[in-house]
Amino acid sequence: MRQQGRFAVTCAGALTVAVALGACGGSGDVDDGTAKITLWHGYTGAQTEAITALGKQWNAEHPDQAVTLVFDGGNDDVLQKTTAGFVAGNYPDVAYEYGSSVGPLSRQPRLADLTERSQDPAVDWDDFFPAVKDASTVNGKVVAVPALVDNLALVYNKDLFARAGIAEPTPDWTWQDFRQAAAALTDKEAGVYGWSYVNDGTEDTVWRYLAMLWQAGGELLTADNKKPAFNSAAGLAALNQLRDMAVTDRSVYLDTGNQNYSNLFADGKIGMLWTGPWDLSSFDKVHYGVVRLPGYNGNHESISGPDLYMMFNRSDRKTDTAWAFTTWLTSPKVHLEYAIQTGDLPLRTSETKLPEYRSTYLKKYPGAEEFTDNLDNVQHARPNIPEYSQVSQAVGEMVQSVLLGQAQPQEALDSATETVQSVLAGS
Amino acid sequence: MITAWARRRSTADHVSGWMLVAPSVLLIGLFGLVPLVWSFAMSFQRNDLQTPAEWVGLHNYDQMLGDPVLVAALRHTLIYTVLFVPLTLVGSLVVAGALNRNIRGISIYRLAVFVPVITSTVATGVIFNFLLDPEYGLANGLLEKVGLPAQGFFSDPDQALYAMVAMTVWGWIGFGALIYLAALQSVPKDLLEAAALDGCGPVRTFWQIQVPQLRPVTAFLTTWLIINALQLFDEVYVTTKGGPLHATTVVVYYLYQQAFQYFHAGYASALACLLFVVIVLVTLIQMRLTRANDESGAA
Amino acid sequence: MSESSVRVSRRPSPWHLVLIPLALVMAAPLIWMVLTSLSSVADTQRFPPGLPSALHWSNFSKAWNQGPFDRWLVNSAVVSIACVISNLVLCSLAAYAFARIRFFGRGVVFVLLLATLMVPFQVVMIPSLVIMRNLGLIDSLPALIAPNLVTPFGIYLLRQFFLSLPIELEEAAVLDGASRLRILRSILLPLMGPPLSTLAILTFLTSWNDFLWPLIVNTSSDVMTVQIGLASFQGAHFTNWPVLMAGTLISQLPLMVLFLVGQRWFVASLATTGIK
Repeated sequence: MRQQGRFAVTCAGALTVAVALGACGGSGDVDDGTAKITLWHGYTGAQTEAITALGKQWNAEHPDQAVTLVFDGGNDDVLQKTTAGFVAGNYPDVAYEYGSSVGPLSRQPRLADLTERSQDPAVDWDDFFPAVKDASTVNGKVVAVPALVDNLALVYNKDLFARAGIAEPTPDWTWQDFRQAAAALTDKEAGVYGWSYVNDGTEDTVWRYLAMLWQAGGELLTADNKKPAFNSAAGLAALNQLRDMAVTDRSVYLDTGNQNYSNLFADGKIGMLWTGPWDLSSFDKVHYGVVRLPGYNGNHESISGPDLYMMFNRSDRKTDTAWAFTTWLTSPKVHLEYAIQTGDLPLRTSETKLPEYRSTYLKKYPGAEEFTDNLDNVQHARPNIPEYSQVSQAVGEMVQSVLLGQAQPQEALDSATETVQSVLAGS
Repeated sequence: MITAWARRRSTADHVSGWMLVAPSVLLIGLFGLVPLVWSFAMSFQRNDLQTPAEWVGLHNYDQMLGDPVLVAALRHTLIYTVLFVPLTLVGSLVVAGALNRNIRGISIYRLAVFVPVITSTVATGVIFNFLLDPEYGLANGLLEKVGLPAQGFFSDPDQALYAMVAMTVWGWIGFGALIYLAALQSVPKDLLEAAALDGCGPVRTFWQIQVPQLRPVTAFLTTWLIINALQLFDEVYVTTKGGPLHATTVVVYYLYQQAFQYFHAGYASALACLLFVVIVLVTLIQMRLTRANDESGAA
Repeated sequence: MSESSVRVSRRPSPWHLVLIPLALVMAAPLIWMVLTSLSSVADTQRFPPGLPSALHWSNFSKAWNQGPFDRWLVNSAVVSIACVISNLVLCSLAAYAFARIRFFGRGVVFVLLLATLMVPFQVVMIPSLVIMRNLGLIDSLPALIAPNLVTPFGIYLLRQFFLSLPIELEEAAVLDGASRLRILRSILLPLMGPPLSTLAILTFLTSWNDFLWPLIVNTSSDVMTVQIGLASFQGAHFTNWPVLMAGTLISQLPLMVLFLVGQRWFVASLATTGIK
């Protein structure tokens, strides 16, 4: 037995040596001295066509450079894939990432610091909407170029309002107006709910709560991002509103995260949604209206879920190309053209001043104007800290436990505060 | 006979034995054992997969002691395994018994039973979300018709884990039935003929002649199901994402969250080591039990 | 039962009454996928869901044109077939040795191999990537094949099968001085139809449906498998279910054909398994 054990150890040792010897064959993360770059994206459908065409155009106009666009298996998996890419050595020069990935990737040593570049007047950095500008910045450093911006507004089914005999939402609605309308729209017999809330405990659950928290004057974390700050009157007011609607009134369809809410709204089973422009294409059979979110004491803040192009440094030459290409993609004229093809919202204020914005874009996407205007209502960005996903998890559970009637708002706030506190203190 | 074997057990056996297993040992060693040892090493690190790792000794293991989510994840994993394994075993055996006959269209039935195994987990998740939707799902529609109260299923923290068991048992029965079917087909025919001559009915033949012959396969399946139950991940990922309120957070899902959402790869590796020890222990106990069973059966 | 397995009976068997409901319950997702793949998007937004308003075959051509589907299918097939062949050969050899030959270190080696089954893939993924990188295989089809050339699962499955065979079958041959390979090939191989076809199908299935590893290790479109290609159908915020399901069906069709063909082996081997 002892002999056998020694043999196994020898075997394992030999294997380790074999692997170590092979350790010189790494490839991919070496700079090849050219201006060839790879951009990973998770675009599908019309977006793929549009970006592919733009990539071709760029390469034709810049024979000394080459931008290769690579589909990375979908945006949901890209953070994991990028992380693995650093291990495998085949990481991209540019990656399309969710705004929530900035925190975790902010520790990545290869992440390019774009602060100096962003001060180039030709780029006109301040022209980007504040919501995406903030999301691209970590500790005062610019680490990404905005790629997409959206926000939450109130989308409602006009026919259901008419049937219930109540007035349609106005831009000045209060939380109270909203709650009463949701209750009035709810019709158990017909299987109709006034509102829907995504209740899977993920960021999808969290961001609607954050909008309410900010409207009521609250903050998620303290200004230095070191401590929780949502255990406040504002945090409680937002949770109370959710409890009143979901538990007391039972006027909310709780989506379990499979995005059923979109089909239900399309089928006339839900009266109102807090959602973004991406859903509108599914609602072409619905007679719907869009208006900014109901407010608290006149504050109608919304929240943005920005996506970003992040750059990883192999050489200055490559990063120059990456920067030039992505800022060209997001320059006013080019991006508006792209938006006309895909239905994305404008990224820059100046895009809305171009003639094609009214003559072409808004004609093609009638719901988009409300969402573009609503970008002015985005005042806060989520904290870009590495621990954000754990903070989000704790807040998501808090909201979920209240919506399910498993906890009272104050009790849920206390327990989430404790979790967030230890997360922020931990590392 | 024993002496004949003993005489053959010589150098030649050592050489031929090793020659036969060498390719497998090398490949599994490289792609299985090395990563395993590696992740064991990672469990002593603070590793965010981004910046250089840092050795922290037993810190990750220490942290486990005060982690309430881990305790919940362990409990859910055990409850899940205790329900999933026997239900799947019995279900597979019964289905295999029903499929083990030479009637017209049997290959279609076999394909049908195997469909859940082929179907991608994503599609399975979507279907079950539809069926079990608390407001509009087919399941509650049926319950209502029978006059029973509607259930929450995946949206109810008290039921989600059991809904998960139901969904995965359904998904695994095809696999178990396939393995059992292959084994049933190798039960020597003369045994069955002898039983028929003795006047055994088909049900008695099945339970008294065929099932005992299946012991090695059952041992194999049990081990395999336990290993897979303790490693439940995909189904959780596509349906509940561990919720609601951690009700379906099982160990591997938690570990995945730690590694790829929170970037605590060191802690995730420590969790994996804990899981590894649990799986090894459970497997050893299960093997002991089947062996004891076999011996008492033989006596 | 014993009489029905002797020959196909003429009258419809009463077993159909049991098997039809069973088949319906198990095949429900397939039926649902077929129905969805023939629906319009509006049909899938109806609650409660119902039958498609008309048959929208165009979903299949839309799915097919979404990307280089033929290329992805060929890649998946190459990877899966390579894994199946190598597993059948290598697992048989190793399993036979573990079951029948008493060689030095057998117990320890077997336990070590099995141990690799007990760690979830999510954990060993990062080390595996480093190994692949050192072998220079990142972003290639071999990167998908190499880790699955032989699986502990296959060895374990076949070992259990060998253990269930009466040893007397081989004894005479051993005494006659036949080599191990010869015994395996001429005495045992003819009996191995059911376990080998099981292993073949399961190996094919696993490598065909594998998602995480191909996603992580490969990036170029020309070395993508069909599962990764399918992911391009799912947008972050919007999913076209009919086209997605049509694509899924196309991707799973080879598996179903394989199973239909493979399962005949279980029946065909009935004749040969009349041990002794």
